[in-house]
Amino acid sequence: MLLLDYQNVLIESVLTERFSGAPPVTIDQTVSDFDGVTFHISTLDTKTKIMVSIQIRCYADLVRYGAEQVLKREYGPYVVAPEPGYDFSVVVDLEDLPAEKEARDELVKKISLLKRNAMAAPFEQAYEEHYHLREEASKFTSEEAPQGVREGGEVKAIQYREEEAIYVKASHDRVTVIFSTIFREETDRVFGKVFIQEFVDARRRAIQNAPQVLFRNDPPLELQGVPGVKNTGTGEIGYVTFVLFPRHLTPQRMLDVISHIQTFRDYFHYHIKASKAYIHSRMRRRTADFLQVLRRARPDSEEKERKTASGRTFKVGS
Amino acid sequence: MSQSLRPYLQAVRSSLTAALCLSNFASQTAERHNVPEIEAQTSPEVLLTPLTIARNENERVLIEPSINSIRISIRIKQADEIEHILVHKFTRFLTQRAESFFILRRKPIKGYDISFLITNFHTEEMLKHKLVDFIIQFMEEVDKEISEMKLFLNARARFVAESFLTPVSLICPQTRPNSQVDVCLSLTKRTRRINKQSICAASSWLVEGHDSDALRLAFGEHKRIMITLSSRLLLWLLQVVILSNCRRLTIASKGNTYPEFEKHTRELTIRFLSLA
Amino acid sequence: MSIIQQHTAASLSDAWRTINIDALEEDSSVNFDTSTLHPALPEVSEADVRQINIQVRQLLRGGDAEGALRGSLEMPVYNGSDLAKEAHLHTVIEVLQSIKASEMTPMLQRIYGTPGGSECLDVLMKYLYKGMAATSAADGNSSAPRTPTRMTPQQTGFSQVGGRPGGANESTGGAMSVLLSWHEKVVEVAGLGCIGRCMTDWRKV
Repeated sequence: MLLLDYQNVLIESVLTERFSGAPPVTIDQTVSDFDGVTFHISTLDTKTKIMVSIQIRCYADLVRYGAEQVLKREYGPYVVAPEPGYDFSVVVDLEDLPAEKEARDELVKKISLLKRNAMAAPFEQAYEEHYHLREEASKFTSEEAPQGVREGGEVKAIQYREEEAIYVKASHDRVTVIFSTIFREETDRVFGKVFIQEFVDARRRAIQNAPQVLFRNDPPLELQGVPGVKNTGTGEIGYVTFVLFPRHLTPQRMLDVISHIQTFRDYFHYHIKASKAYIHSRMRRRTADFLQVLRRARPDSEEKERKTASGRTFKVGS
Repeated sequence: MSQSLRPYLQAVRSSLTAALCLSNFASQTAERHNVPEIEAQTSPEVLLTPLTIARNENERVLIEPSINSIRISIRIKQADEIEHILVHKFTRFLTQRAESFFILRRKPIKGYDISFLITNFHTEEMLKHKLVDFIIQFMEEVDKEISEMKLFLNARARFVAESFLTPVSLICPQTRPNSQVDVCLSLTKRTRRINKQSICAASSWLVEGHDSDALRLAFGEHKRIMITLSSRLLLWLLQVVILSNCRRLTIASKGNTYPEFEKHTRELTIRFLSLA
Repeated sequence: MSIIQQHTAASLSDAWRTINIDALEEDSSVNFDTSTLHPALPEVSEADVRQINIQVRQLLRGGDAEGALRGSLEMPVYNGSDLAKEAHLHTVIEVLQSIKASEMTPMLQRIYGTPGGSECLDVLMKYLYKGMAATSAADGNSSAPRTPTRMTPQQTGFSQVGGRPGGANESTGGAMSVLLSWHEKVVEVAGLGCIGRCMTDWRKV
């Protein structure tokens, strides 16, 4: 499992099962996802109506950047008033499913991508801004472009975790995505540094057309003056910057790129944890080896049998 | 073995052999007590001159002999931050298991990474030359282990970063992430051990931490298994199989596969097997 | 006398629990004077050490490495100031470094064969250990904070290797390997007993 899935697998499997024509049953499940996102799948008064609700920490931020429009676009007819305690809900009626299997699968897919779609709003907005700014900028040469065009759009901050945020900023020639991520302990910090270094180097070495990745411990220039960005100076927080160039910003690539970049933080930390687990298992094995060597130091304690002159045997304790 | 490592270990070996001359000695300060004098430090006349053997300022061994016990402290090479953290983790892991190591001290003495305490009771129970062997082997292996772990970490980081940044992942066709493939695995026990280096190289492909054990647990000694896998799981399996002493892996797929995927797995298999 | 004791700042904290009261008692074994275990040794002053150093250097310049080695080992500084001991250690190491690897064993064998040669090699062994302890301790202190400093913010990322702790790594490593190979040769010629005598001898260099 190298890359993380974009969709929520549990929702996907529940819905696939329900949609396959199995007899309707009552469902009431709470599902957790990355970044403290919670889903609630439940049946309403009738067993055929399945409601899927999502609760995201930063929903207010997302709404500000147009999440409602994006969700409306994606889930149009299924959207209902949000369930209490949740931010957004959709209801699917099993009796009113699309007839073709492909369309049903499509629907399952779409619903399991609820989190992705909600989080995609600021990115989509940034894309739009970028297209707009590019058009603007193409009217001018770089020197005489008006201030607004050269500087680009405002920084969109998505505080998707308690102490971590994504910042998105569009300019006429690029879209910058900055992840702030926190390292809880020294080991994470050091491992993270190794991993990030490879992200930074990957472009230089292997994948020339990859987005540029930058890393620093203090807030990058783009984030100056953005509320909530503080420089602790302890090196606990890292800022990872992805610079998406026009070749990543084509409308055809948009869906994949948005999905993919969203998973970065979890992907990154997941691999740090997995390396720690691997190293731990390695240490376990090595320790067993050492014990084996040490055990060799004990002389064999097998019991020696001795015979008396009359032929009787007795044991000599070692 | 590097040029200066051999004389270093040789010096440690001869010094240890000379120092491991212990006899039973009851405490002079407390009636009916018998404590390691080197730890108690209550009778200066039974403590001998400590010996330091150093390879450079980052690698040294301190041997503190006394009449009934010796304390050996090792400072392990740490060239950078990564090695420092790995050494710290490893020594911590070991000291937490000090109970089963008998001669391991729970806490290293100041300025060193790990300490051993050998008393006359240990030398009475265990063979002295084997104890010396143990210390020497420990010193050798620790260095090797640390550098291998570091290598692994870098290799994995590289792999992880490249697969994230590869625009459209070749390995997992995103359009059909869960297409099922029937796979027939023939696992043959490897006759020879895979050499260290190849494990190191292959381990960079191994993404899950303890998968190799998991696979062995799951499949045991079965020779042929039919399983249905998603393409991703298959990839995972491929990575794992290399590390689990299987010499040959055959993939026979049927059902709704698609040619480009099959081609890709075949490529990967070859790549993996040539690594190992 | 009241059973209610007077509290002072010292008795309120628990620092007093860690006081080794045995050490305060004169008759305690902790205070055993190990200098009574051996006869008093003649004191060597810094001037004497300098004298030896000059003589040894002259011998070295004259190409008599063996004589230089013997000369430096026959007058070990057992009783003297730290400075004097340090200076003599430097003299010995200087001699050791100037001798080629191929000459080590034959020279040691010659010394070992002469009367008093065995003692000479014991002294050499003591200096070898002292040399390794001194150099590594000195460097160990200079790179004292062992936990690496926090990642320093940089403009464009960071270098993975970072600053290697102690740039003098190579040079001390070189000095060490000379001592280590001498150690090996001395053990070959004089045996393990040589190390044993090093540990047990109260006359410390």
